[in-house]
Amino acid sequence: MKIVAAQKILKANDQLAEENRRRFSAAGVFGVNIVGSPGCGKTTLLEALIGRFGDALAPAVIEGDIAGSIDAERIDALGVPVVQINTDGACHLDAQMVNAAAGSLELGQLGLLLIENVGNLVCPAGFDLGEHRRIVLLSVPEGDDKIAKYPAIFRGSHALAITKIDLLPHFDFSVDRVVADMRRLAPAARVFQLSAKTGGGVAEIGDWLQAEAAAR
Amino acid sequence: MHELSIVEALIEQVETEVDRAGARGPVARLKLSIGRLSGVNADAVRFAFQLLAPSTRLAGAALEIDEPKAVCVCAACGARTEIEELVLSCPACQAGKITIDGGREMLLETIDVDEFDR
Ligand SMILES: Nc1nc2c(ncn2[C@@H]2O[C@H](COP(=O)(O)OP(=O)(O)OP(=O)(O)O)[C@@H](O)[C@H]2O)c(=O)[nH]1
Ligand SMILES: [Mg+2]
Ligand SMILES: [Zn+2]
Repeated sequence: MKIVAAQKILKANDQLAEENRRRFSAAGVFGVNIVGSPGCGKTTLLEALIGRFGDALAPAVIEGDIAGSIDAERIDALGVPVVQINTDGACHLDAQMVNAAAGSLELGQLGLLLIENVGNLVCPAGFDLGEHRRIVLLSVPEGDDKIAKYPAIFRGSHALAITKIDLLPHFDFSVDRVVADMRRLAPAARVFQLSAKTGGGVAEIGDWLQAEAAAR
Repeated sequence: MHELSIVEALIEQVETEVDRAGARGPVARLKLSIGRLSGVNADAVRFAFQLLAPSTRLAGAALEIDEPKAVCVCAACGARTEIEELVLSCPACQAGKITIDGGREMLLETIDVDEFDR
Protein backbone atom coordinates (compact mmCIF):
# COMPACT_ATOMS: atom_id res chain seq x y z
CA MET A 1 0.00 0.00 0.00
CA LYS A 2 1.26 3.50 -0.80
CA ILE A 3 0.27 6.30 1.53
CA VAL A 4 0.61 9.79 0.07
CA ALA A 5 1.29 11.87 3.16
CA ALA A 6 2.55 15.08 1.51
CA GLN A 7 2.92 16.83 4.85
CA LYS A 8 5.57 18.79 6.65
CA ILE A 9 8.06 16.92 8.75
CA LEU A 10 7.74 18.37 12.28
CA LYS A 11 4.03 18.88 11.60
CA ALA A 12 3.36 17.94 15.22
CA ASN A 13 5.73 20.66 16.47
CA ASP A 14 4.26 23.24 14.07
CA GLN A 15 0.71 22.44 15.19
CA LEU A 16 1.57 22.69 18.84
CA ALA A 17 3.43 25.95 18.16
CA GLU A 18 0.26 27.36 16.54
CA GLU A 19 -1.70 26.28 19.58
CA ASN A 20 0.81 28.03 21.86
CA ARG A 21 0.56 31.20 19.75
CA ARG A 22 -3.25 31.17 19.92
CA ARG A 23 -3.14 30.64 23.65
CA PHE A 24 -0.67 33.51 24.16
CA SER A 25 -2.66 35.82 21.90
CA ALA A 26 -5.93 34.99 23.62
CA ALA A 27 -4.36 35.83 26.99
CA GLY A 28 -2.92 39.08 25.62
CA VAL A 29 0.65 37.84 25.99
CA PHE A 30 3.33 38.73 23.45
CA GLY A 31 5.79 35.85 23.02
CA VAL A 32 9.44 36.42 22.13
CA ASN A 33 11.97 33.70 21.32
CA ILE A 34 15.54 34.79 22.09
CA VAL A 35 18.26 32.82 20.31
CA GLY A 36 22.03 33.05 19.94
CA SER A 37 25.30 31.27 20.75
CA PRO A 38 26.27 30.23 24.27
CA GLY A 39 27.36 33.32 26.18
CA CYS A 40 26.25 35.88 23.57
CA GLY A 41 24.34 37.82 26.23
CA LYS A 42 20.77 36.48 26.20
CA THR A 43 20.22 36.46 29.96
CA THR A 44 22.00 39.79 30.29
CA LEU A 45 19.53 41.30 27.79
CA LEU A 46 16.59 39.84 29.70
CA GLU A 47 17.90 41.35 32.93
CA ALA A 48 18.31 44.74 31.27
CA LEU A 49 14.83 44.66 29.72
CA ILE A 50 13.26 43.65 33.01
CA GLY A 51 15.20 46.36 34.86
CA ARG A 52 14.01 49.06 32.50
CA PHE A 53 10.58 47.90 31.33
CA GLY A 54 9.58 45.48 34.06
CA ASP A 55 6.59 47.52 35.24
CA ALA A 56 5.36 48.50 31.79
CA LEU A 57 5.58 45.07 30.17
CA ALA A 58 4.49 42.65 32.94
CA PRO A 59 7.07 40.08 31.80
CA ALA A 60 7.66 36.45 32.62
CA VAL A 61 10.58 34.32 31.48
CA ILE A 62 11.00 30.74 30.29
CA GLU A 63 14.65 29.68 30.55
CA GLY A 64 15.86 26.88 28.31
CA ASP A 65 19.14 25.25 29.27
CA ILE A 66 20.65 21.83 28.78
CA ALA A 67 21.24 21.58 32.53
CA GLY A 68 21.07 23.64 35.71
CA SER A 69 19.05 26.64 36.83
CA ILE A 70 21.70 29.36 36.93
CA ASP A 71 19.87 31.62 34.46
CA ALA A 72 16.47 31.08 36.13
CA GLU A 73 17.99 32.09 39.46
CA ARG A 74 19.28 35.32 37.90
CA ILE A 75 15.74 36.14 36.71
CA ASP A 76 14.13 35.02 39.95
CA ALA A 77 16.36 37.49 41.80
CA LEU A 78 14.57 40.28 39.90
CA GLY A 79 11.18 39.18 41.21
CA VAL A 80 9.82 38.15 37.81
CA PRO A 81 7.95 34.84 37.28
CA VAL A 82 10.34 32.33 35.72
CA VAL A 83 10.16 28.67 34.65
CA GLN A 84 13.29 26.66 33.98
CA ILE A 85 13.23 23.99 31.26
CA ASN A 86 16.09 21.50 31.26
CA THR A 87 16.32 19.88 27.84
CA ASP A 88 18.41 16.97 29.08
CA GLY A 89 20.91 17.21 26.30
CA ALA A 90 18.65 18.46 23.50
CA CYS A 91 20.20 21.41 21.70
CA HIS A 92 17.01 23.48 21.31
CA LEU A 93 13.61 24.13 22.85
CA ASP A 94 10.52 22.77 21.09
CA ALA A 95 6.83 23.69 21.17
CA GLN A 96 6.00 20.84 23.54
CA MET A 97 8.47 22.04 26.19
CA VAL A 98 7.16 25.61 25.95
CA ASN A 99 3.57 24.35 26.13
CA ALA A 100 4.33 22.52 29.36
CA ALA A 101 6.28 25.44 30.86
CA ALA A 102 3.56 27.97 29.98
CA GLY A 103 1.12 25.81 31.91
CA SER A 104 2.72 26.84 35.16
CA LEU A 105 2.49 30.60 34.43
CA GLU A 106 -0.52 32.86 35.07
CA LEU A 107 -0.74 33.97 31.44
CA GLY A 108 -3.74 36.24 32.13
CA GLN A 109 -1.59 38.46 34.33
CA LEU A 110 1.28 38.81 31.85
CA GLY A 111 2.01 41.12 28.94
CA LEU A 112 5.27 39.69 27.66
CA LEU A 113 6.69 36.17 27.65
CA LEU A 114 10.44 36.11 27.04
CA ILE A 115 11.73 32.67 26.10
CA GLU A 116 15.51 32.20 26.29
CA ASN A 117 16.40 29.33 23.98
CA VAL A 118 19.34 26.99 24.46
CA GLY A 119 22.59 28.69 23.42
CA ASN A 120 23.05 27.47 19.83
CA LEU A 121 23.16 29.16 16.42
CA VAL A 122 21.97 26.11 14.48
CA CYS A 123 19.28 23.91 15.94
CA PRO A 124 16.73 26.40 17.35
CA ALA A 125 16.21 27.65 13.77
CA GLY A 126 14.06 24.62 12.91
CA PHE A 127 11.66 24.74 15.85
CA ASP A 128 8.78 27.20 16.04
CA LEU A 129 7.86 27.64 19.71
CA GLY A 130 4.68 29.61 19.16
CA GLU A 131 6.38 32.97 19.64
CA HIS A 132 5.22 36.17 17.94
CA ARG A 133 8.74 37.46 17.31
CA ARG A 134 12.22 35.93 17.27
CA ILE A 135 15.26 37.98 18.20
CA VAL A 136 18.71 36.66 17.32
CA LEU A 137 21.76 37.92 19.20
CA LEU A 138 25.27 38.11 17.80
CA SER A 139 28.06 39.27 20.11
CA VAL A 140 31.10 41.17 18.86
CA PRO A 141 33.65 38.53 20.02
CA GLU A 142 31.96 35.87 17.85
CA GLY A 143 33.05 37.64 14.69
CA ASP A 144 31.32 39.50 11.85
CA ASP A 145 31.16 36.48 9.52
CA LYS A 146 28.53 34.57 11.50
CA ILE A 147 25.51 35.59 9.43
CA ALA A 148 27.18 34.22 6.33
CA LYS A 149 28.14 31.01 8.14
CA TYR A 150 24.88 30.31 10.02
CA PRO A 151 22.30 31.88 7.71
CA ALA A 152 19.21 29.89 8.66
CA ILE A 153 18.78 31.30 12.15
CA PHE A 154 19.27 34.88 10.97
CA ARG A 155 17.00 34.50 7.97
CA GLY A 156 13.99 33.57 10.11
CA SER A 157 14.44 36.26 12.79
CA HIS A 158 12.50 39.51 13.13
CA ALA A 159 15.31 41.41 14.80
CA LEU A 160 19.07 41.19 15.24
CA ALA A 161 20.77 42.51 18.35
CA ILE A 162 24.51 42.98 18.06
CA THR A 163 25.64 42.60 21.66
CA LYS A 164 28.81 43.54 23.57
CA ILE A 165 29.20 46.61 21.37
CA ASP A 166 31.52 48.06 24.04
CA LEU A 167 34.10 45.47 22.95
CA LEU A 168 34.38 46.83 19.38
CA PRO A 169 37.76 48.50 20.04
CA HIS A 170 39.27 45.09 20.84
CA PHE A 171 38.03 43.15 17.81
CA ASP A 172 38.14 43.44 14.04
CA PHE A 173 34.38 43.44 13.77
CA SER A 174 32.61 45.37 11.05
CA VAL A 175 29.11 46.42 12.13
CA ASP A 176 28.51 47.57 8.55
CA ARG A 177 29.18 44.09 7.21
CA VAL A 178 26.82 42.50 9.71
CA VAL A 179 24.07 45.02 8.95
CA ALA A 180 24.54 44.48 5.21
CA ASP A 181 24.45 40.67 5.53
CA MET A 182 21.29 40.86 7.65
CA ARG A 183 19.64 43.23 5.13
CA ARG A 184 20.15 40.62 2.44
CA LEU A 185 18.83 37.68 4.42
CA ALA A 186 16.03 39.41 6.29
CA PRO A 187 15.30 42.80 4.72
CA ALA A 188 12.48 43.63 7.15
CA ALA A 189 14.40 42.80 10.32
CA ARG A 190 15.34 45.55 12.78
CA VAL A 191 18.97 45.75 13.88
CA PHE A 192 19.92 46.94 17.38
CA GLN A 193 23.32 47.59 18.96
CA LEU A 194 23.51 46.69 22.64
CA SER A 195 25.96 47.07 25.44
CA ALA A 196 25.34 45.81 28.92
CA LYS A 197 28.27 47.94 30.08
CA THR A 198 26.76 51.26 28.98
CA GLY A 199 23.10 50.20 28.83
CA GLY A 200 23.05 51.39 25.21
CA GLY A 201 20.35 49.95 22.94
CA VAL A 202 18.12 48.57 25.69
CA ALA A 203 15.62 51.43 25.40
CA GLU A 204 15.39 50.96 21.63
CA ILE A 205 14.77 47.24 21.78
CA GLY A 206 12.24 47.67 24.60
CA ASP A 207 10.39 50.38 22.65
CA TRP A 208 10.33 48.14 19.59
CA LEU A 209 8.92 45.23 21.59
CA GLN A 210 6.22 47.47 23.06
CA ALA A 211 5.29 48.78 19.62
CA GLU A 212 5.22 45.28 18.10
CA ALA A 213 3.10 43.97 20.97
CA ALA A 214 0.70 46.92 20.72
CA ALA A 215 0.34 46.46 16.94
CA ARG A 216 -1.13 43.01 17.43
CA MET B 1 22.49 17.07 16.32
CA HIS B 2 18.86 18.17 15.98
CA GLU B 3 18.48 15.65 13.15
CA LEU B 4 18.02 13.07 15.91
CA SER B 5 14.96 14.81 17.34
CA ILE B 6 13.65 15.48 13.84
CA VAL B 7 13.88 11.80 12.93
CA GLU B 8 12.27 10.88 16.25
CA ALA B 9 9.32 13.12 15.34
CA LEU B 10 9.30 11.76 11.79
CA ILE B 11 9.01 8.16 12.98
CA GLU B 12 6.05 9.06 15.19
CA GLN B 13 4.46 10.94 12.31
CA VAL B 14 4.85 7.93 9.99
CA GLU B 15 3.37 5.57 12.57
CA THR B 16 0.37 7.89 12.96
CA GLU B 17 -0.19 8.03 9.19
CA VAL B 18 0.15 4.25 8.80
CA ASP B 19 -2.38 3.67 11.59
CA ARG B 20 -4.75 6.20 10.11
CA ALA B 21 -4.58 4.45 6.74
CA GLY B 22 -5.37 1.17 8.48
CA ALA B 23 -2.24 -0.48 7.08
CA ARG B 24 -0.95 -3.45 9.08
CA GLY B 25 2.32 -4.53 7.50
CA PRO B 26 5.80 -3.17 8.14
CA VAL B 27 6.93 0.05 6.44
CA ALA B 28 8.99 -0.78 3.34
CA ARG B 29 9.94 2.62 2.01
CA LEU B 30 9.80 6.29 2.92
CA LYS B 31 10.16 9.23 0.55
CA LEU B 32 11.21 12.56 1.99
CA SER B 33 12.01 15.89 0.49
CA ILE B 34 14.59 17.94 2.37
CA GLY B 35 15.48 21.24 0.73
CA ARG B 36 19.10 22.38 0.61
CA LEU B 37 18.25 25.46 2.64
CA SER B 38 16.14 23.71 5.27
CA GLY B 39 19.02 23.72 7.74
CA VAL B 40 18.75 19.94 7.99
CA ASN B 41 21.42 17.69 6.60
CA ALA B 42 20.15 14.68 4.63
CA ASP B 43 23.14 12.49 5.55
CA ALA B 44 22.61 13.19 9.24
CA VAL B 45 18.94 12.25 8.78
CA ARG B 46 20.00 8.94 7.17
CA PHE B 47 22.37 8.28 10.05
CA ALA B 48 19.76 9.12 12.70
CA PHE B 49 17.24 6.91 10.88
CA GLN B 50 19.66 3.96 11.05
CA LEU B 51 19.97 4.50 14.78
CA LEU B 52 16.30 4.97 15.60
CA ALA B 53 14.30 2.88 13.11
CA PRO B 54 15.29 -0.67 14.20
CA SER B 55 13.13 -0.66 17.34
CA THR B 56 10.03 0.56 15.46
CA ARG B 57 7.60 -0.43 12.68
CA LEU B 58 9.99 1.28 10.31
CA ALA B 59 12.75 -1.27 10.93
CA GLY B 60 14.41 -2.17 7.64
CA ALA B 61 12.55 0.50 5.64
CA ALA B 62 14.37 2.09 2.72
CA LEU B 63 14.83 5.81 3.09
CA GLU B 64 14.76 7.89 -0.10
CA ILE B 65 15.57 11.58 0.26
CA ASP B 66 15.10 14.12 -2.49
CA GLU B 67 17.17 17.28 -1.94
CA PRO B 68 15.69 20.09 -4.02
CA LYS B 69 17.89 23.09 -4.73
CA ALA B 70 16.85 26.71 -4.31
CA VAL B 71 16.91 29.44 -6.94
CA CYS B 72 18.56 32.82 -6.48
CA VAL B 73 16.77 35.50 -8.51
CA CYS B 74 18.80 38.66 -9.11
CA ALA B 75 17.04 42.02 -9.38
CA ALA B 76 20.12 43.62 -10.97
CA CYS B 77 21.05 41.26 -13.83
CA GLY B 78 17.98 39.04 -13.93
CA ALA B 79 19.97 35.81 -13.54
CA ARG B 80 18.18 32.81 -12.04
CA THR B 81 20.89 30.64 -10.50
CA GLU B 82 20.33 27.24 -8.88
CA ILE B 83 22.03 27.21 -5.51
CA GLU B 84 22.86 24.42 -3.04
CA GLU B 85 23.54 26.72 -0.14
CA LEU B 86 22.39 30.14 0.90
CA VAL B 87 24.17 33.02 -0.86
CA LEU B 88 24.24 36.68 0.16
CA SER B 89 24.80 38.01 -3.36
CA CYS B 90 24.06 37.00 -6.95
CA PRO B 91 26.52 34.28 -8.09
CA ALA B 92 26.46 35.80 -11.61
CA CYS B 93 27.05 39.50 -10.92
CA GLN B 94 27.66 39.77 -7.11
CA ALA B 95 24.79 42.23 -6.69
CA GLY B 96 23.13 42.17 -3.27
CA LYS B 97 19.52 42.69 -4.35
CA ILE B 98 18.39 39.10 -4.60
CA THR B 99 15.47 36.92 -3.61
CA ILE B 100 15.75 33.23 -2.83
CA ASP B 101 13.00 30.85 -3.94
CA GLY B 102 12.39 27.38 -2.51
CA GLY B 103 14.81 24.96 -0.93
CA ARG B 104 13.39 25.31 2.59
CA GLU B 105 10.84 22.51 2.47
CA MET B 106 11.00 19.48 4.75
CA LEU B 107 8.32 17.06 3.64
CA LEU B 108 7.19 13.54 4.27
CA GLU B 109 6.04 12.65 0.76
CA THR B 110 5.01 8.98 0.63
CA ILE B 111 5.05 5.85 2.76
CA ASP B 112 5.03 2.34 1.22
CA VAL B 113 3.69 -0.35 3.51
CA ASP B 114 4.16 -4.06 2.74
CA GLU B 115 0.99 -6.13 2.46
CA PHE B 116 1.06 -9.35 4.37
CA ASP B 117 -1.49 -11.98 5.41
CA ARG B 118 -1.96 -13.06 8.95
N1 LIG C 1 31.53 43.47 27.80
C1 LIG C 1 30.30 42.97 27.76
N2 LIG C 1 30.04 41.76 28.29
C2 LIG C 1 28.78 41.29 28.22
C3 LIG C 1 27.74 42.00 27.60
N3 LIG C 1 26.60 41.27 27.65
C4 LIG C 1 26.93 40.13 28.30
N4 LIG C 1 28.25 40.13 28.65
C5 LIG C 1 28.97 39.07 29.39
O1 LIG C 1 28.94 37.88 28.62
C6 LIG C 1 28.83 36.74 29.48
C7 LIG C 1 27.68 35.87 29.10
O2 LIG C 1 26.45 36.57 29.25
P1 LIG C 1 25.06 35.83 29.43
O3 LIG C 1 24.00 36.88 29.43
O4 LIG C 1 25.08 34.89 30.58
O5 LIG C 1 24.98 35.00 28.08
P2 LIG C 1 23.87 33.93 27.60
O6 LIG C 1 23.70 34.14 26.15
O7 LIG C 1 22.66 34.05 28.45
O8 LIG C 1 24.62 32.55 27.88
P3 LIG C 1 24.01 31.05 27.89
O9 LIG C 1 22.66 31.13 28.56
O10 LIG C 1 24.99 30.27 28.67
O11 LIG C 1 23.94 30.63 26.47
C8 LIG C 1 28.73 37.29 30.90
O12 LIG C 1 29.98 37.24 31.50
C9 LIG C 1 28.27 38.71 30.67
O13 LIG C 1 28.67 39.57 31.71
C10 LIG C 1 28.06 43.30 27.04
O14 LIG C 1 27.22 44.01 26.46
N5 LIG C 1 29.34 43.72 27.14
MG1 LIG D 1 21.64 32.56 29.49
ZN1 LIG E 1 22.98 39.29 -10.80
